[in-house]
Amino acid sequence: MTSPARGFLRKYRWRFSGMVAWVIQRVTGLLLLFYLFLHIHTVSKLAEGPEAFNQAMATFHSPFFKLLEIGLLGTVVLHAVNGIRITLIDLGIGVERQRYLFWFLTVGIGILIFLAGAIPMFLFAVLKV
Amino acid sequence: MNIRIRIARFPVQGGETFSEFQLVLEERMTVLDALFRVQREMDSSLGFRCACRVGMCGTCAVSINGIPRLACSTLVKSLDSETVTVEPLPNLPVIKDLAVSLAPFFEQWKRALPAFRPRDKESLELARIPADTLFAQLSPGKRDCITCGACYSACTITRTSGSYMGPAAINRALLRLLDPRDAADSERLAILDKEIEGVWRCHTQFNCTATCPRGINLTDSILRIKRALLRRGRSFQA
Amino acid sequence: MSRNAIKWYVQRITGGLLLFLLAAHFWVEHFMTAPARRGDLTYQVIVARVSNPLWQAIDISFLVIALYHGLNGLRDIILDYDFLGRRAVKVLTVALVFVGLLWAWWGITAFRHL
Repeated sequence: MTSPARGFLRKYRWRFSGMVAWVIQRVTGLLLLFYLFLHIHTVSKLAEGPEAFNQAMATFHSPFFKLLEIGLLGTVVLHAVNGIRITLIDLGIGVERQRYLFWFLTVGIGILIFLAGAIPMFLFAVLKV
Repeated sequence: MNIRIRIARFPVQGGETFSEFQLVLEERMTVLDALFRVQREMDSSLGFRCACRVGMCGTCAVSINGIPRLACSTLVKSLDSETVTVEPLPNLPVIKDLAVSLAPFFEQWKRALPAFRPRDKESLELARIPADTLFAQLSPGKRDCITCGACYSACTITRTSGSYMGPAAINRALLRLLDPRDAADSERLAILDKEIEGVWRCHTQFNCTATCPRGINLTDSILRIKRALLRRGRSFQA
Repeated sequence: MSRNAIKWYVQRITGGLLLFLLAAHFWVEHFMTAPARRGDLTYQVIVARVSNPLWQAIDISFLVIALYHGLNGLRDIILDYDFLGRRAVKVLTVALVFVGLLWAWWGITAFRHL
């Protein structure tokens, strides 16, 4: 059977922007929930003393993990900014312009905020400038 | 110029295939014209529905290149595509080829208590709609629904939830709620407030609004009901 | 206001709170102190902050709010798939509350030796 998913994959990304936003919100939300699990796992090592905790933290200094952290920043920013968009729409603001809200606010502003964090992180932690 | 038309086939005995045909593209050819051409000249076993052919009845709604639309109102040229894929509306049981059963859609429609329930049955007064009411202001944009099923098919929630009422039913409920002459507000709001069936399943994807052939902003209708439920009390003000 | 309406509000309110809490958390862990700016977050540096009961309270509140928002979101996703009957939905809710409490406890006990 067909679905709107195939439609937007073809060339209707603009027309179905709202659906793209919904998918992003769900996927980022689940990813963040999974991340929260990993994060609490690490933080809980505080109770095991300095050696255990510092050892756990040491694995996160590698450039690979720094890249993952940058990915985390992107995930958070997308979910947060789109969440703002959703709340605006729920309040009745921008309902007629929801696609613009998605591309300019969620994606546009989202990319700006992401780069503001990701570029320094990349330069200092990954390339070690 | 030739176009290739791929039509999903669901024979009565079961199974699913695609049939392909080549057609000469004519200037004002609609997808419905193409289907007629195929059925009359190439494959008389093709099953599809239509009635008015002018975008008023909603009978010919099908999925065209993945999007639910009215076949009679979709110019092949506007699709800007060498291959046109026509499939039955998703989220609904297929009867044959492009014809689906709208029974689930109308089950949900009935849930919204779509009929008018007058406040004062005995009154002989002409039931005027004052021009300064929200009903007078909003209803022209909301009452054009032709129950074609495109919105129900476009929604990803109705795809996974057999219980969700869907945009058309909720939009109809809004019209009745807005109508100051209608008395069944709290009954309808109670149904719309249900967690699985009601408005809370809508996540503002706007697929319904994007596909409605009448241009109704269905997401806005659903949002108005959500906002009414968020206010204290059961009386309706959008 | 119905129960579903209240839940709708709380999801957005917790979302808004998380915006601030997360931004603050990011600042604390990456900019507030010199070791943080260096990316040098050792046991000593972190304990220096979370020995303070006020910081513990803030961090625990952050966790609880995030857990509510996340697990409620997960419940919403599951409800969209409509494969649970009315009774099963109640069981799901209880299960998620239980998971949330366990998870919160797991986080809170990180501070138990401080």
